[in-house]
Amino acid sequence: MRLIIFVASLVLVSGAFAQIPPEEITMETMPEHGTNWFIIKSGNGARIFSAETGEMFGTISLSSRTPAVAPYLPRGEFYAAESYYSRGVHGDRTDLVAIYDYANLNPVAEIEIPNHMARLGVRNHLGLLGNGRHLAVLNMNPGYSVSIVDVIDREFVYEMSTPGCAIILPVAENDFLLICGDGTLQLSQLDISGFEENRVRSEVFFNVQEDAVFDRTARTADGWLLITHAGVIFEVSTDDDEINISEGWSIVGEDEAGWRPGGFEFLDVHRANGLLYVAMHEGPVDTHHDPGDEIWVIDLASQRRVHRLELEDPADHLTVTQETSPKLIVGTSSGDTEIFDAVTFRHERTIDAPGASMYEDF
Amino acid sequence: MNTNRIMDRGWYWVDEQARRTTLALARRLSRRNFLSRLGLLLTGAAALPLLPVARAFAQETTLREVGDPQSCEYWRYCALSGQLCSCCGGSHRTCPPGAEPSPITWVGTCRNPLDEREYLISYNDCCGKAACGRCGCHNTEGDKPVYFNSNSSTVLWCFGVEHTSYHCTVALVLGESNQ
Repeated sequence: MRLIIFVASLVLVSGAFAQIPPEEITMETMPEHGTNWFIIKSGNGARIFSAETGEMFGTISLSSRTPAVAPYLPRGEFYAAESYYSRGVHGDRTDLVAIYDYANLNPVAEIEIPNHMARLGVRNHLGLLGNGRHLAVLNMNPGYSVSIVDVIDREFVYEMSTPGCAIILPVAENDFLLICGDGTLQLSQLDISGFEENRVRSEVFFNVQEDAVFDRTARTADGWLLITHAGVIFEVSTDDDEINISEGWSIVGEDEAGWRPGGFEFLDVHRANGLLYVAMHEGPVDTHHDPGDEIWVIDLASQRRVHRLELEDPADHLTVTQETSPKLIVGTSSGDTEIFDAVTFRHERTIDAPGASMYEDF
Repeated sequence: MNTNRIMDRGWYWVDEQARRTTLALARRLSRRNFLSRLGLLLTGAAALPLLPVARAFAQETTLREVGDPQSCEYWRYCALSGQLCSCCGGSHRTCPPGAEPSPITWVGTCRNPLDEREYLISYNDCCGKAACGRCGCHNTEGDKPVYFNSNSSTVLWCFGVEHTSYHCTVALVLGESNQ
């Protein structure tokens, strides 16, 4: 009797499934790139979002020690420096540059580099040069050097020693600047194969003990913007082998003593509008990693502040998208990602992205 | 002219003394003895550059101090950025079991509230295990950007060890900052 009931129920169940077509699991591919997309980097990957809708599109899995990821849309690729151990946290170490494709966000090539990579979450420890061919990766062992990788031919070119200088700031087609501890900039110019052809040092323009230039920077229309712990701005650019450094000027007014820039990746520039967005807080000297209670918006041409955006939750990181209707993306101390209209400063949405440590316009 | 002659005689006297001393030593000491002493000298010279590093670990402090080494407010941690080894099975001066101390460090200057003196503090990372994850601490007194790495708390200092993954950080007193 029990056997009959069991067989009957099997027939009934299979009949029930037969009435609707069974679903099959498939895999998405990345949609066409959209307006105001950006990357949220965390400890184990880079997630791609739209600042317009808050929608997430996919993830690039990265090593926990990856400094940053460099997207390059013309080839539909992303470049990341990575560091792995064969047994998780011990065993043989392998440092490499991984190349990820746009469609699936999967690794399609990897190039081993010397195991000297500076394994810190600093955006400018990685720089794709203007020609889109050479990727510069900062090393620290503990002296500084830079590994040059040809991402088109998929090969390691060489490791160049850069004593006392770090922070990779790509300029021109095949050159990059470095910030040096003696208060200067170093310009390295590469030849067509990626080997250093010329090296130039600037005059001393800051004092690292009295008021150091931050190791966080922002790209401008023709170079880079540097800011000191006290809020003095220098704009730097190059003309062939000449390094041009503007006169320093402070974003902190005489009646605003105590306000300082700070956080981690805490500043960015909208290049077409010439606007600087920088997280600011009130505090004594050496509070340069404190999050910003406000974001100051500075017009670089007139050197005037045009807005103070007060935040309920202070900001550790920010970026601004480069579209004509840009979005200001703010990472707060409590871990939220807040999206503002970068022109009206109206808050638009909060994105849930745990562990966000850096943003990259994309 | 006389001066030159006097100097010549002086040099001759030095040469003669050196010759006699060498001969006397050669008669008294074997060749193996000489080689062993030479080896000792060379080994000592090779160890010289390591001395400041080795001293950091060898020091027995008799410093008078107060505070909780498991708290980020502990005075030695004024420029420490990392996770406190004192919360991870070690102490403020020792690495947890199996975590290898890095001999290369960054150095800060902190004021001891008990004697109001400033001390050089060596922040050594303990390495070769997964990050401890407890008692995170990020103090930035005297901290400099990463391009000035000897005074940068942001840098991971697991260098000169077998496995370079970061586990936690200790804070050793090297001495008074004005010494």
